Amino acid sequence: MNECKCVAGLASSAAAACLSSAELRSHRSALFSKEQVRQRSLYPRTEKIEVMLQGPGLQGTLLVMNRGLSTPYSCTRHLTEWHVKSSALALVDGQPWHMHQPLIHSCDLTLLTFKDDDPQIANQAYWRSCAALLGHVLDEAFKDEFSVELLKLPEVPVTAGAFCCDLVLDSRLDSWTPTEVRTASSQTLLTFEERAAQSQNGTVSLYRCGDHVTVSGGPLVARTGLCSQYEVTSVHKVGECEWGVLRRAQGLSLPLNLTAHHNVWKMLRKRAERLVRNVFVCDNSVKQVKARHCRQKHCFNALVSF
Amino acid sequence: LHTPVIQCIRTHRTNTWWDEHLTEDNASFLKKVVTEEYKQQTTDKLNPLKDEPWPRHEWVEGSRRVGLVAVKLGMMPVWTKSGERHVVTMLQVQDCHVVKHLSKEEYEGHTAALIVGGKNVSPFHRPEGYLEVFRNAGVPPKQKLTTFCVSDNAIIKPGTPLYAAHFRPGQYVDVTAKTIGKGFQGVMKRWGFKGQPASHGQTKTHRRPGSLGPGGDPAKVFKGKKMPGRMGNIYDTTHGLKVWRVNTKYNILYVNGSVPGHRNCLVKVRDSILPTRLENNKNPPFPTFFADGDEEIPEDLYDQDMFQFGEPMAE
Repeated sequence: MNECKCVAGLASSAAAACLSSAELRSHRSALFSKEQVRQRSLYPRTEKIEVMLQGPGLQGTLLVMNRGLSTPYSCTRHLTEWHVKSSALALVDGQPWHMHQPLIHSCDLTLLTFKDDDPQIANQAYWRSCAALLGHVLDEAFKDEFSVELLKLPEVPVTAGAFCCDLVLDSRLDSWTPTEVRTASSQTLLTFEERAAQSQNGTVSLYRCGDHVTVSGGPLVARTGLCSQYEVTSVHKVGECEWGVLRRAQGLSLPLNLTAHHNVWKMLRKRAERLVRNVFVCDNSVKQVKARHCRQKHCFNALVSF
Repeated sequence: LHTPVIQCIRTHRTNTWWDEHLTEDNASFLKKVVTEEYKQQTTDKLNPLKDEPWPRHEWVEGSRRVGLVAVKLGMMPVWTKSGERHVVTMLQVQDCHVVKHLSKEEYEGHTAALIVGGKNVSPFHRPEGYLEVFRNAGVPPKQKLTTFCVSDNAIIKPGTPLYAAHFRPGQYVDVTAKTIGKGFQGVMKRWGFKGQPASHGQTKTHRRPGSLGPGGDPAKVFKGKKMPGRMGNIYDTTHGLKVWRVNTKYNILYVNGSVPGHRNCLVKVRDSILPTRLENNKNPPFPTFFADGDEEIPEDLYDQDMFQFGEPMAE
């Protein structure tokens, strides 16, 4: 079937080792566009749905939108420019929903920004999108003849200090250590588009940013223009796996309306250089870290929970 | 004539104060972390012997050594043994470190230079470029930086702390500081002109400069003519001030007479260059006073002529 093929084509990059990275990327992007067109054609007649907006100042606003076409982004376009620029994520019936994912049925919509009272969901989504961007950057950083395989983007909580991306580099680059880790400033406003692809295991969400397609565990943030400071802090060798040396690249980023002073940024960056072990949300398990580092963890914890 | 069109690029103001996006406990945590870091950096630099110090040479006639950056605290009276009363200014040396060394080629071609920094200051209100120099030296950022021209045998490794015991009582120093700004002042206050009499027929002329020059022959006013204008807020040096007393516990220098600047301003103190005072500046602690050395100095060092309370008075 068409869907299985496209998912298989994206996942088995080991089989496509003969293609260069640029060709792979364009191939994936073409598959994504095809899938996008197919999903749009599932609703040949435009049906109307009612979207109820929730949130401060917006309670009870009713918008009549199109099924399968309108996204929360188009809902914000009906409001003000501030809503368009500042909303990072949407909550549809309490579920986190990507801004460019089409709405399928009548629902309640809440728009999330980074400056809400409880920005945990938005922060986690931001972290995930930064990890995806990191994958994109690393994919493009090496020359075409070296193959870069992004394994996965581990779900790291914001309190860990850095988002990471596991990757396997070409076997020729086994002895490569980063001499200079520079900032990756993605200035172009690229939109993360999302399509839910049906596969045998269930739904898998794919996200496309410019030319690069990723698989992600949860919704991502609306666009890359929302991050102001972005830096790739370190690359650590974690271990070996069947494809080669497993490396973990880490980065640090802050959103546009929460720019940090250069001193504060330097302290956060120093912390982000340390290797992030797979520690999940439970705070008690981080007691293995020394007292001084614990305080730094609280620093970022509070930094984010406004 | 087309007036040149000034192009303006409208940008969003992106820089904010450091506190803006932080919660209160974050801000207090950061302040604590910064003070702890400063303490750590200072204690690391306390033993210059430990981290590969540069070779120390002996004092030679004609060599120039570093000075200090101090804070002007205030003034107080001092009596000599013969009963004369003088006034002294107290200058406290707070967190003085050598920050950078510029060799002869880098500086100007004649002498080497050492950049010394004064009082510690918070990093949140200084730009990144300014903080870079201090990061390279491993020293907390300072409020004032000055350059001292130094002979080659007196260079010190960046990061060494400097203390008040660098100067000894009986030496003569020059003190440079920014004078108090008086604003736009008339000619009597600014240049000390005599003015005109208050009465006996003077019409509207009591504090004016009077004549501006000779007359018909040059038929002009010479350049540099002393006239009213902005006074003060410029660097000025007072030469040949005697050091009466040095307190090593609080790092205070008691220096004769008055010194330019307001209270709590930062001043630059160095050995005097007056030719008549060179005799008194012989054999100083060279290149500077090191706290970890073998010599034990008492808490207070007094000049020979100074009267200390509790001594018998010569009638």
